[in-house]
Amino acid sequence: MQNVNLMAHRITVYSIIALLALPIMATFVYSLSSHWGASILPDGFTFKWYAELFSDSRFIAAFGRSLFVCVLALVLAMLLMLPTIFVVFYYFPQYDKVMNILILLPFAVPPVVSSVGLLQFYADSPFTMLGTPWILIGTYFTIALPFIYRAVSNSFIAINVKDLVDAAHLLGASTPKAFLFVILPNLKKGIMASMFLSFSFLLGEFVFANILVGTRYETLQVYLYNMRQTSGHFTSALVMTYFAFIFLCTWLGSRFSKGNLS
Amino acid sequence: MSYVQVKQLSKSFGKQRVFDAIDFTIDQGEFITLLGPSGCGKSTLLRCLAGLNPVDQGQIWVDGENITDLSPQEREMGMVFQSYALFPNMTVAENIGFGLKMKSTPAAQARSLIQRFVELVELKGKEDRYPHQLSGGQCQRVALARALVMQPRILLLDEPLSALDAKIRKSLRQQIRDIQTELNLTTVFVTHDQEEAMLMSDRIFLMHQGEIVQQGSPESIYTQPANEFVAGFMGHYNLLDKQVVKALFDLDSPHKVAVRPESIYVKEEGRQYEAHISSPKTAHVLNHQLLGNVIRYKVQIEQQEMTVDLLNRSSERLLPAGSRLELLFNLNEMQPVSP
Repeated sequence: MQNVNLMAHRITVYSIIALLALPIMATFVYSLSSHWGASILPDGFTFKWYAELFSDSRFIAAFGRSLFVCVLALVLAMLLMLPTIFVVFYYFPQYDKVMNILILLPFAVPPVVSSVGLLQFYADSPFTMLGTPWILIGTYFTIALPFIYRAVSNSFIAINVKDLVDAAHLLGASTPKAFLFVILPNLKKGIMASMFLSFSFLLGEFVFANILVGTRYETLQVYLYNMRQTSGHFTSALVMTYFAFIFLCTWLGSRFSKGNLS
Repeated sequence: MSYVQVKQLSKSFGKQRVFDAIDFTIDQGEFITLLGPSGCGKSTLLRCLAGLNPVDQGQIWVDGENITDLSPQEREMGMVFQSYALFPNMTVAENIGFGLKMKSTPAAQARSLIQRFVELVELKGKEDRYPHQLSGGQCQRVALARALVMQPRILLLDEPLSALDAKIRKSLRQQIRDIQTELNLTTVFVTHDQEEAMLMSDRIFLMHQGEIVQQGSPESIYTQPANEFVAGFMGHYNLLDKQVVKALFDLDSPHKVAVRPESIYVKEEGRQYEAHISSPKTAHVLNHQLLGNVIRYKVQIEQQEMTVDLLNRSSERLLPAGSRLELLFNLNEMQPVSP
């Protein structure tokens, strides 16, 4: 009975996976085919589209810009959140609940609405923000906060911060040293997991990037959007490259959160 | 002059008073237990000694030095936590050596110190293990070595045995006491377990609602409880109303009287009893609990229920409910206790 059940579960799960993988597989095949028009199978296979993509300096530049914006936003968010979470957990554990609500605020407003709000707000600002990567970094910073807070605070919950820091104090360590030597190494898992997961999320962000900055600082998603009129094979290759990269990041992120690498 | 002097120490959290104007002294090398039910302020008092909680008022002196305003880093106290508080990212040797590293002890000296204390707590061969690879008892021994290696002026133990199972608890408490005696270490131990306190301490400070209600040797606290709370906390004392005492024993007492269950005898025929033994009282057995070497009977004498502990000897084995007993009371053991 159990075997039959297990079989049924397996079939269901694999069918869903196959169904979900179908469009991706189709895109992958399309990106490799020289021409795929009126026939059931492509006429021939080629790496031409990938070669074209990787030799496009605009793609490389857009990819670089996306990396720059995402990494900088994440590093800033992490630098702010680590001490914040430490202070919350060591000195004011009762504020963890408040933080959990605060941290979700960036998600409460749909991106379209908040990007229009940001547009209006920064339109009259004395220094130019719109159209520069800086506004995007700021926005991504707020988007990354909930991911980071959740993952890192889970790591904090897993260790007994209060007793560990107290013990370090009594052994002669100052609070910064206690944080550096005792707390930080135990957060590695949470930090790496949240970094990779929010990185793959931010890399795919389109609404803020398009509305706030657009072509003036073309990021990967905006480039993809602008390329929609060119050959479908080319954009398929672009999408597959992007997918592969995201997959790698997500995989690394989930490996770290399982703790295999720590 | 005493090694540790605590003068008029007060602490409250917001409006909630934890303790108020506590005074006590500790001699060098003494093993002191802060004993009391949870919420009596004993752990907070220990944390105040460590400097982990600031005090509102009062002073703490150690070895002639006022340490009240020193940070925990400067107090030279070692502490062992109930949760072990071992650093999960460090090996046994790194945990023990952490304080030495913070003090910038030369590497060679640190190594030999770590080695010495690893041996002292019998963890030789486990230096490179991580805390998650150790049992609870081993973790707590690492925590002990980590505190001891710093050669603290006072060792503070915050319920270090509470998270361990009974067997490990027994062997570790003996080990702690042995090491403490060997190093002649002034120690303050916090527990809610009166048996642990009795076994380990030179003196017990019994705390209740933020006050030290009685302090003294384990024996004096056990045999001469100062008030009803101590009598209730330290054993299974029978607390008799003064009217009952008057009726049964013709004794006048200003307060209730505490009678230890093991100070009550069964009358043996033909034996002469001394003057301080009461006349026999007829008791009916209500029920019994077998504790192993002792059988604890619930009996009724006239209208008064009492607990009587009898040794589990063949002649007195498991009397069924309803049995009649002739019981004798040692009048010297009638301990009047204030409310």
